Amino acid sequence: MNLKEIKELIELMKNTDISELEIERSGVKVRLRKGGDVTFHPSMPRMEYPPVAIVAPAVTEAPAPGSAAGKSEDPAKTNRIMVTSPIVGTFYRSSAPDKPAYVEVGALVKKGQALCIIEAMKLMNEIECENAGKIIQILVESGAPVEYGQPLFVIEPA
Amino acid sequence: MFKKILIANRGEIALRVIRACKEMGIKTVAVHSTADANSLHVRFADESVCIGPPKSADSYLNVPSIISAAEITDAEAIHPGYGFLAENSSFAEICNSTGIRFIGPSPESIKQMGDKARARETARKAGVPVLPGSNGVVTEESSAIELARELGFPVIVKAAAGGGGKGMRVVMAESEFANAFVMAQTEALAAFGNADVYLEKYILQPRHIEIQLIADEQGNTVYLGERECSIQRRHQKLIEEAPSVIVDESLRKQMGEMAVAIARSVKYRNAGTIEFLMDEDAKYYFMEMNTRIQVEHPVTEMVTGIDLVKEQIRVAAGLPLSFTQRDIELKGHSIECRINAEDPETFTPSPGTITAFNPPGGLGVRVETAAYTQYVIPPYYDSMIAKLVVHAETRADAIMRMRRALNEFIIEGVKTTISMHKKILDDPDFQKGDISTKFMERYNNPAQ
Repeated sequence: MNLKEIKELIELMKNTDISELEIERSGVKVRLRKGGDVTFHPSMPRMEYPPVAIVAPAVTEAPAPGSAAGKSEDPAKTNRIMVTSPIVGTFYRSSAPDKPAYVEVGALVKKGQALCIIEAMKLMNEIECENAGKIIQILVESGAPVEYGQPLFVIEPA
Repeated sequence: MFKKILIANRGEIALRVIRACKEMGIKTVAVHSTADANSLHVRFADESVCIGPPKSADSYLNVPSIISAAEITDAEAIHPGYGFLAENSSFAEICNSTGIRFIGPSPESIKQMGDKARARETARKAGVPVLPGSNGVVTEESSAIELARELGFPVIVKAAAGGGGKGMRVVMAESEFANAFVMAQTEALAAFGNADVYLEKYILQPRHIEIQLIADEQGNTVYLGERECSIQRRHQKLIEEAPSVIVDESLRKQMGEMAVAIARSVKYRNAGTIEFLMDEDAKYYFMEMNTRIQVEHPVTEMVTGIDLVKEQIRVAAGLPLSFTQRDIELKGHSIECRINAEDPETFTPSPGTITAFNPPGGLGVRVETAAYTQYVIPPYYDSMIAKLVVHAETRADAIMRMRRALNEFIIEGVKTTISMHKKILDDPDFQKGDISTKFMERYNNPAQ
């Protein structure tokens, strides 16, 4: 496939509703995608319970170290890890109302350390930390309902 | 009446239930997997909860997640739709024990009718004809072959816990029996974790006729006429219609009363369907009972004028049915085509982005779908993307209307079975109503 053919394909795409095109010919793969105007989001996932401020599009993982090199973003930020809820339930920061919270912002946590409790079907599930690091942000209020995949904590890996 | 209902399903049926709730002034909670975040059922529900990753086992079949979602949203009842957890008796039991109303029959009814051998026995005791066969499970090959000889070939070997054509073997002659029997047992074990099989006489050109019924807590059980679902491929229904050309007024009454007798004998509540096989002489035999709302329920709604999902919700809330048997009158004819995102020749699923979507409209046309332009059909779930339902005065008019509507239905970006439906609607035998569950075999192996 030569440049001329690719140009023709681009022209062809302009006049159709096709937003993405992938062609493979004799070992050469070409993928064309139209500009940002075609992305269509009829709705965003949402939960409408009073206390919850929904945290916009869940980023479950930070980019792998190294991949962000050269970008103008704050390098510290790209290392951060989002801890998301593995289950649906009610989020609690402590094991009982009169007990201290498992973690506070700024706390250093070890791998496997409990961060919070999520109550589902009357069962208290301790959510453990998968990486050692520092708690940068706690995104959910104690007592708020959480859904699967909802971001709970931001951690900066040690 | 309930104030809030959670719908433990996705796609068009979730939307169907949400619509009924809205018209009843009931708040709705949609649950969804991460793959369905942009689905219409999520958009149109009052609230939504993400319950897990794409795989059904971790989301739509994830009982703790769904119960937990109902608890955090204060939903009083759960509508299971069809498929997923709809016929899971332990899910119904967990709902009840956590104080959430399961919109469907009792766990005991689901259990009793879900086991095919037990269901057959229940029907027989209620005085309903069943296909001659083994009364229960056969384990020994030698006694099975003796029984098959007694029934006369062809016979069919079926898994007791079966469904969807798995663990099923038709045996045309005695020489094939031993092999088929063992194969069915092995398949049953692999698919359902249970090697129990039973035997039945096999009808060569059967029609699939089913009776819709619904029962309330007060003990009223009403049948809503029949649906004919003979147009199938590998036990998957493709086209359903009501009424059936083969069923007249007196046969309808007879079959309806048989269905009611079965339901009464197990104290059945809520909507259910009794499926019958009918042979060439219009003799009918109990096949199985589906203890849920069915995909093809709209054709019954079109000819009876009854909203089955609303009635399901009413009776689950303890209210009596809003009609009696005497009020049921069939008007006109209705046909439903299931439009799947599949290659119409090979039937391989065709997931992907719908780039253009124009559903048909006009008088007597109803489209049940959760699809839209730019909707991405995920590869994780079933391939049905729309049900096209028409209603007209006569069957001939309904066929004309369906052909018209199929021509208006534009779906681009994925392959669909629309062209297959056009072919069936054009078939002279279909038009005459000369159909059986073997009808689709004429389209197999089109290559010479």
